[in-house]
Amino acid sequence: MVLSQRLHEAFKGTVEKITGPRTVSAFKEKGVLSVSEFVTAGDNLVSKCPTWSWESGEPSKRKPYLPSEKQYLITRNVPCLRRAAFVEEEYEAAGMEVLIDNEDNDGWLATHGKPKDRSSEEENFPSIESLEINKNKSVKSSPSQVGGEDEDDIPDMADYEEADNIEIDPGTYLVAHEPDDDNILRTRTYDISITYDKYYQTPRVWLTGYDESRMLLQAELVLEDVSQDHARKTVTIEDHPHLPGKHASVHPCRHGAVMKKIIDVLMSRGVEPEVDKYLFLFLKFVASVIPTIEYDYTMDFDLGSTSN
Amino acid sequence: MEGNSGKSILQFAPFQSSVDEGFWHRLSSLKLNKFGIDDSPILITGFYAPCSHSQVSNHLTLLAESLPLDSSEESSVPAVSRGNRNRCSVPGILYNTNTVESFHALDKQGLLKAEAKKIWEDIQNGKALEDTAVLSRFLLISFADLKKWSFHYWFAFPALVLDPPATLVNLKPASQVFSVEVAESLSAAFNDWRSSSLTADVPFFLVVIDSNLHATIKHLKDWETYQSAADHKLLFGFYDPCHLPNNPGWPLRNLLALICSRWDLKSVRFLCYRETRGFADLGLSLVGEAQITAPQGWGTLHSTPNAVGWELNKGRKVPRCISLAKSMDPTRLAVSAA
Repeated sequence: MVLSQRLHEAFKGTVEKITGPRTVSAFKEKGVLSVSEFVTAGDNLVSKCPTWSWESGEPSKRKPYLPSEKQYLITRNVPCLRRAAFVEEEYEAAGMEVLIDNEDNDGWLATHGKPKDRSSEEENFPSIESLEINKNKSVKSSPSQVGGEDEDDIPDMADYEEADNIEIDPGTYLVAHEPDDDNILRTRTYDISITYDKYYQTPRVWLTGYDESRMLLQAELVLEDVSQDHARKTVTIEDHPHLPGKHASVHPCRHGAVMKKIIDVLMSRGVEPEVDKYLFLFLKFVASVIPTIEYDYTMDFDLGSTSN
Repeated sequence: MEGNSGKSILQFAPFQSSVDEGFWHRLSSLKLNKFGIDDSPILITGFYAPCSHSQVSNHLTLLAESLPLDSSEESSVPAVSRGNRNRCSVPGILYNTNTVESFHALDKQGLLKAEAKKIWEDIQNGKALEDTAVLSRFLLISFADLKKWSFHYWFAFPALVLDPPATLVNLKPASQVFSVEVAESLSAAFNDWRSSSLTADVPFFLVVIDSNLHATIKHLKDWETYQSAADHKLLFGFYDPCHLPNNPGWPLRNLLALICSRWDLKSVRFLCYRETRGFADLGLSLVGEAQITAPQGWGTLHSTPNAVGWELNKGRKVPRCISLAKSMDPTRLAVSAA
């Protein structure tokens, strides 16, 4: 982690310790959530999209301001069939704009879907230095799973291979097809979690990636599944507040402002957004950052009450 | 594609494992702070859920909560809470050895047999009807190299082998088997079953379709009540972690063994329950009919039938290995923090 990022984290940690959690709603004014609004919105997400659940996480990392059984939200084993990095290259090669959302795209997230519009956005980001990722690195780099490097540290398991007389009963065992199909090779799965960031007073998204044989992906490789506009800027690799290990996360510094914009657009159309729908709007926005990860944020119902 | 019609041997898609990083972190801490060199087996809990996407199977997942709490951490929340629809508990046992040599020296076939024996006994004594979660068990052997922060491990999902194997009469998406009316009633019944905390994590059950084409989901043990009612159609259902359109998943194996052993049925109608976005998906769920030729004297058998179930690693009989030095090694953490 770069120094400025460390300093910022330390500062943020101190501020979080000495300030109380937000209790007054500023949802429409600032696009942020109070702790109780986060729990309300999370309850609604879990009831409408049952692949999401509340979890309590590591007991030692529990936040006192959140209910112990509702520390963060998670959905596991979410497929990601294609690399976002490839998809964008394909679109760009075809001379098209990157249109992130193709179902009921009504344009209100367009500024985040098009890479060309990013310059104006970018200036507003606090100076979080981007991670050093070699742009030319082959996306299909072979040691995709954790443990792929440090080969010399690991005893050679080939010595033991098939030494055991274990039975597999080939008649009734469905032996998986050889992974000659490119799609199978590329299918990754993700555990996506949403935590409450007390400093920014918004939800924060975390990604844990697995390769096609469900082995943990190095956090850096997760960046292949992030829209390339965000991969080196808003998506960083940090300690998860409730789980061990390093995980990729969409940095929440602009979440409030983006959510405020979305809310303003809705209100200008006469839709009064309700705070319990916050996470659906939020996840729709997050889809522009991780366009190929197929998590659930069903929007088959009204976002709020229409005021006229 | 095989298995749509005609008789063929019923083939099952093996269970697949997935281990969350948190599991290894807690195991390391338990090993260092609590177990020491004590390598006696410990009871752990795995979690699974029905398949919820047409393109990926679900897995038997281990999380930090799969292990007992480290004594240094006090908590009022029970280690494993029941009723979470995305976390059906599967009882498991962990053999964590102290050396890589003893890891490789473990009697794998013997350990698998011991777990299969538990399943067989639970079928015989009726416990499997009361708590169907014990029909699926798993076994994990591991060696945690805490000097290098690497973990060698191997899963087994013991399945009792029917000999001769069951044959498949037909297998189709549930939506092609039922009328629209039955399908609607069935979907509603499933969604109720899955949203009640009393039944959400009960992985084996009975589907009852009455003469009015009304579907209900009942507990497996209710079979004895319903089997005599001639105007009811009964199917044996289970949460299927597998997504494949032509094969049921692994949990069906021990369910068939139970049906064969306790009720001696020759023909079994089964339903592989699968979801999309957390709701019943009858297009993805499968309905099939299997024929079982009861192995000689199964009902009265004292010895446990043969069992299979060691997980293959990319098609090979080798253990898996994961290195977590990046997130566990204090010297590396210090370097990355600088």
